[in-house]
Amino acid sequence: MAEPIKVGAAGDIEDEEALIVPADTAGWDDDIAVFFSDGKYYALNDTCSHEDASLGDGWIEGDEVECPIHSAKFSLCTGAALCLPASHPVRTHKVEIRNDEIWLYVGVPADGQEG
Amino acid sequence: MSIPENLVIVGGGLAGFSMAQELRKRGFGGAITIVDPEGLPYDRPPLSKEYLDGRQPADKLPFSDESWFTENNVTLVTDTVTAIDPDTLEVSLASGTTLPADEVVLATGGHARSLPIPGGDLPGLRYLRTKADADALREVLVPGKHLAIIGAGLIGAEVASTAVHAGAEVTLIDPVPIPGVAGMGETIALHLHKLHEAHGVHTLVAQTTAFAERDGKFVVEVDGGPDEGGTEVVADAVLVAIGIIPDIHLARDMGLDMDRGVLVDESQRTSHPKVYAIGDIARLRHADGTLGVRHEHWESATHSGQTAAAALLGQDLPVHPAPWMWTDRYGLHVEAVGTMREEGELVVRYRDGVPAIAVMLAGDGHVLGAAAIDGGNAIRAIRRMIDRGIIPDREKLADPTVDLKKLAR
Repeated sequence: MAEPIKVGAAGDIEDEEALIVPADTAGWDDDIAVFFSDGKYYALNDTCSHEDASLGDGWIEGDEVECPIHSAKFSLCTGAALCLPASHPVRTHKVEIRNDEIWLYVGVPADGQEG
Repeated sequence: MSIPENLVIVGGGLAGFSMAQELRKRGFGGAITIVDPEGLPYDRPPLSKEYLDGRQPADKLPFSDESWFTENNVTLVTDTVTAIDPDTLEVSLASGTTLPADEVVLATGGHARSLPIPGGDLPGLRYLRTKADADALREVLVPGKHLAIIGAGLIGAEVASTAVHAGAEVTLIDPVPIPGVAGMGETIALHLHKLHEAHGVHTLVAQTTAFAERDGKFVVEVDGGPDEGGTEVVADAVLVAIGIIPDIHLARDMGLDMDRGVLVDESQRTSHPKVYAIGDIARLRHADGTLGVRHEHWESATHSGQTAAAALLGQDLPVHPAPWMWTDRYGLHVEAVGTMREEGELVVRYRDGVPAIAVMLAGDGHVLGAAAIDGGNAIRAIRRMIDRGIIPDREKLADPTVDLKKLAR
């Protein structure tokens, strides 16, 4: 999974918004949400670890995303569940900006993460 | 103040579990014991929805599995607390053993309210508060069975949706023509209530006046029954869903200050300096002596546990956002934030001719509250407006093409 895939151009994702990379495109067992917030890019497995909901559709603020259904919060940096009702983290993926393009390293944990 | 070494939390619902979790997060090193007759703490909202209809398996109900308790050194005692000595704080259990404590947290929640009418104490009447209640109720949610639900509030409405989807016949009885106005405002509440009939649930605006058993069925008499100009509903099962009664007997026996709930200050501390009350049983007494409302919603329970954890450690109390709740029915996800009770101007956004978001504005333009159908981010935007005192542009607020998140910046 080391080969990154291009998922868009810088500017495609508005501030505090996300782009969903479908599981088929990513070659992954879940859709992947690529977030842009406060000038930084992040990527997480899109499905909330509590129930079936899209984190990419959630409320993005700073380095956190809040599930749109039951308000479980996750760290965009680490994927950690920050409050109930979620108890389990969601997986991070590494994102890189190269030549104004957004490249997603599917299955590669974000820097500093063990995945 | 000194930080306790031995903390006993009475009740392992959301509030009690949240407090234990928050204490460990904040570095509390003392012993934590949670006592609950139901054992492993679990989440209750699915009991009327995805757990009741079988979509969510039982092993997904607990907040954490047993390994969390081991890893976090939290002792779980499956037992019932029968008394707490107000002087020594020794906690007595139904099994006959006692637990030492130097601070105690009451997180006992409540039990379903019964109706004080003839037949209101029939043993076959059903209530929905525990996993066992949900398991028993699920057995009658099948084609060919008729379920009468007394009370069209959140639980009653959710079970009606779940039951009719499972193929049961459902009659939903409530004396209030449009339930939920206080929580969601009239426009959204009316739209949601109409969905019951649209999905095949019979709704009856009537006062339930008696229950009886006849020929293996339950008879629900409403408005006095047929002899007094009312009518009767014959059903295979009856669910009484008219709210809860807080379990406050331990607090009463300890002599704590009470008023339809256990009175607490802003740090969740009761009138006993070493006893906290959190979750459904707690009622805020402001510094000036006036009383707040007793919150029974999910998020307020977790917030109260977090506040008590900070207070117990002598740390700054967390600032919580405006109160928030959700309900699910007929495939729709409904959320509300703030308050819709106060008099104000209701600004409604429509989606395909159907009310989607209703926002209550105070006279000076401040946002008081909002309710939305399938509009989680709209509610989060409104929540930010309430918390930050942002006054939205009235015309843009009503314009469905304007992203509320942008208005909240």
